[in-house]
Amino acid sequence: MNAIRKMAAMAMLVVLASFGALGVTAAQASTTQPQEVLRTWYKLSLELVRHTPTYSPPVASRSLAYLGVTAFEAVAAGSGELQSLAGQLNGLQAVPQREAGKTYDEAVVVQAAMAFSAQNFFENTGPTGQRAMAKLESKLRAEVSANLPADVVIRSETYGRVAAAHVLAWSADDGGAVIENMGFPMQYQLTPGAAHWAPTSLIVQQQKPLLPEWGKNRTFAMPNGAACALSAPPAYSEDKTSEFYRQALEVFQTKRDMTPEQRAIARFWSDDPMLSPTPPGHWVSIALQILERDNVGLDKSVDVLARLGVAEADAFIGCWDAKFQYDLVRPVTYIRRTMDPKWEPLLITPPFPEYPSGHSTQSGAAAEVLTKLFGENFAFEDATREGDGLKPRAFPSFWAAANEAGISRLYGGIHFRAAIERGLEQGRCIGAFTNALRTRR
Amino acid sequence: MRLISLSLALSALSVSGFVQSVAAENTVTIPSFVEETISAGIDSIYAGEWEYMVGGGVATFDCNADGFADMLLAGGTSNSKFYRNSSARGGALQFETQTSGLELDKVTGAYPVDVDSDGVTDVVLLRVGENIVMRGLGNCRFERANEIWDFDGGDAWSTAFAATWERGAAWPTIAVGNYIDRREDTSPWGSCTDNWLHRPSVVDGKTLSKFKAPMALKPSFCALSMLFTDWNKSGTPSLRVSNDREYYEGGQEQLWHVEPNKAPALYTEAEGWKALRIWGMGVASYDLNFDGYPEYFLTSMADNKLQTLASIPQDGHPQPAYNDVAWPKGVTAQRPYTGSDLRPSTAWHAQFDDVNNDGLVDLFVAKGNVAKMPDFAMKDPNNLLLQTSDGKFQEAGAAAGVASVATSRGAALADFNMDGLLDLVVVNRWEKAQLWRNTTSTNAGRWIEVKLQQPGPNRDAIGAWLEVKRGSTVMRREIFVGGGCASGQNGWWHFGLGDTTQAEIRVVWPDGASGDWQSMDSDNFYVLERGKPAKMWVSKNPE
Repeated sequence: MNAIRKMAAMAMLVVLASFGALGVTAAQASTTQPQEVLRTWYKLSLELVRHTPTYSPPVASRSLAYLGVTAFEAVAAGSGELQSLAGQLNGLQAVPQREAGKTYDEAVVVQAAMAFSAQNFFENTGPTGQRAMAKLESKLRAEVSANLPADVVIRSETYGRVAAAHVLAWSADDGGAVIENMGFPMQYQLTPGAAHWAPTSLIVQQQKPLLPEWGKNRTFAMPNGAACALSAPPAYSEDKTSEFYRQALEVFQTKRDMTPEQRAIARFWSDDPMLSPTPPGHWVSIALQILERDNVGLDKSVDVLARLGVAEADAFIGCWDAKFQYDLVRPVTYIRRTMDPKWEPLLITPPFPEYPSGHSTQSGAAAEVLTKLFGENFAFEDATREGDGLKPRAFPSFWAAANEAGISRLYGGIHFRAAIERGLEQGRCIGAFTNALRTRR
Repeated sequence: MRLISLSLALSALSVSGFVQSVAAENTVTIPSFVEETISAGIDSIYAGEWEYMVGGGVATFDCNADGFADMLLAGGTSNSKFYRNSSARGGALQFETQTSGLELDKVTGAYPVDVDSDGVTDVVLLRVGENIVMRGLGNCRFERANEIWDFDGGDAWSTAFAATWERGAAWPTIAVGNYIDRREDTSPWGSCTDNWLHRPSVVDGKTLSKFKAPMALKPSFCALSMLFTDWNKSGTPSLRVSNDREYYEGGQEQLWHVEPNKAPALYTEAEGWKALRIWGMGVASYDLNFDGYPEYFLTSMADNKLQTLASIPQDGHPQPAYNDVAWPKGVTAQRPYTGSDLRPSTAWHAQFDDVNNDGLVDLFVAKGNVAKMPDFAMKDPNNLLLQTSDGKFQEAGAAAGVASVATSRGAALADFNMDGLLDLVVVNRWEKAQLWRNTTSTNAGRWIEVKLQQPGPNRDAIGAWLEVKRGSTVMRREIFVGGGCASGQNGWWHFGLGDTTQAEIRVVWPDGASGDWQSMDSDNFYVLERGKPAKMWVSKNPE
């Protein structure tokens, strides 16, 4: 967050002082449903994730989490049902209340809060993203304000921005607010030894690992990045009888004997930065499809998106904490060293250590949270990658999807089995912290 | 000229499972450039907001038959500007504004090509809106020819161009690359509009001097550069398209079969094509390793790519699979090499040519932020990468005096004062275009420049290969119009010769027929007309 943005956020917080601790009245409805406004901003946000180089998966998860908390707090302040996350999420202070006895329009509140939040948490986006945000704000603002009294519009917009500014100010010192060189450190000492990560790309930037300090960021719902620590991966060995070699051989043989279904699964969940909404965006996309399909109301929509965002962001912090604790070599490096010097994985190997699998950890966390929100055997179809020509896939449950996302990394040749299975379990552990949040009064 | 000794000692790098260790001693001539923008009379800005964030090209061509390269600079929302070259040979660069008919607004780029093969260069203007073919009338006058040539300029955001004469055709085939749907305001991603292939109109087996209605090249993925190139020496150029991943869904770089009387078809994975997804912004091509097959430099954001064929089988029929050798060759150019702004670079125009006449082509890359993207450098110097004798490249932009940090887009290396040294013009977004004179003259290597002519269609022999012997080395360059960043050239083709005083040159004409090897004196201009002995060019206006 640059200095000007910080000042704007602080100015908003000064404005809130005039509100005082006031109650809430029933909102006067806009003709546009607030949950529709919410989903529209989220859809744009997923495009911004895809089309802004800063948004590697960890960074995307952070922005999506703050977007979710912003929406939740802005709406919770006017809801008789929702319980604020202040005091529950690490470091989040009470969000300013609305003026008692005054009328607010929820669609206007949501529109203003999301516009403010998107413009700040995606401020690095290029001219097209900036233009799209400005156009969307202008369009939605006109829609939600139509036929509403001017004082209601002004009051609602002001409150939406105040709530968003509160969350923005809270985010500033979490350790992830400033991303330089797309997340690749200018200086970094690789850990010596065959067991440890070595660059796998010919891209100069990627000779250093992505975001080595991310595991130290402030978490949202879990105590810290090490709260769901993992046991060590199988001990590194080039002995053909070792567990490590056996797991690498599985990756090698899977690529060699790959079925069309395995290839389709690997592609479907590849979720490469700049070519997709990234793994956390993929799960947000799943949630959005369900919210739209089932015409889920505003309270539950913000609950789902806030919890999902929090769980995903915590998952990346926890996962990164473990990644840089163990700093494990990637399959492509090991297989070329021990089996086939020309071996190529199906997917692009991400530029950071192997263990655990980030997609697995965050998919496990997402499944844990969404299962609690929607139920154990909640079937859905996922068309996230349809625009890229990848057919929708149907799942009988969130955990079925998470398990498939996890194993897709083995099919793709970028993870060993241990990183997947333990990553999913780490995600389950991390998701439980989010599930313990109280969002209903 | 300055000679510097470059001690290259790169630490061992473990990359993708192999280890590189490089230690070499090379000497390279650093050229000298002097900026003469103001004194030469150049005053042009590529203006405009969102719809002009890409483009910004320059076309260089001789439109008054005096041998000197004139130029047209795209102006974006302002009118493009035409400048007639009034430089004296070997002297300071000098240009005069002259009303040419090319002064139109909404121009993103321009490519010179003699469409009707009348010996007078025409110019295709890429625009936000309707593209326009301007017929050359001589003496640097042009008129709109869309109607008389049935050229449907469409209504798109055009950003790429390439032209070829398909085998046996009397009229060119033009490819136009189009960007996103500019009317999509809140969600322009995934809205890449169709690229077009304008083929000759044929009636009863006879090619007319007109174009057919353009056909869509589906799928299209927001092309920013296109090039007809005979990548496999098959005799039939394919269409290489570099695409901007910022906007496509399910896209990648593309290579099209474009064969006479057949619908274009993409090269497939089964044919060996390997998917590559980058912010493709510009293509430069040259046979760098003297194997007869071109290498391709692809500009992007952060790392750039240099592609060389993965393997060339003995039967001479390679698959279109390329290895990226940008890093080992020293041309990743991924971030600024001067100043304190170390954020990743944004690269646009690229061109291989020999700026120090040592017989090894060098690489110029124009750099500049898209607008104000905070992830990327705002002070992003243009690159001048000099090739050394081991085939690697060494940055010399600052030492040579061309490390401008303006927001650059298109460019051209061209010998504006006909002294055998390539000068440089660069178009900048929101800032004035810049012009540099190459002043390395006293100690640079020898050179030769040639112009091709053939009777009948395709008078400038687009698609030919020029081969020049320098000692035991045969340098080859493919003659094309296309590629780069919205910038095209026509005119003299330049070769540096090092110490070679007598060059052996031959032409492999577009139909595959090889001319004879002919001996020519270095430091001269020659016209190579098909079937005739090489003719030394002499100015009609001797100084």
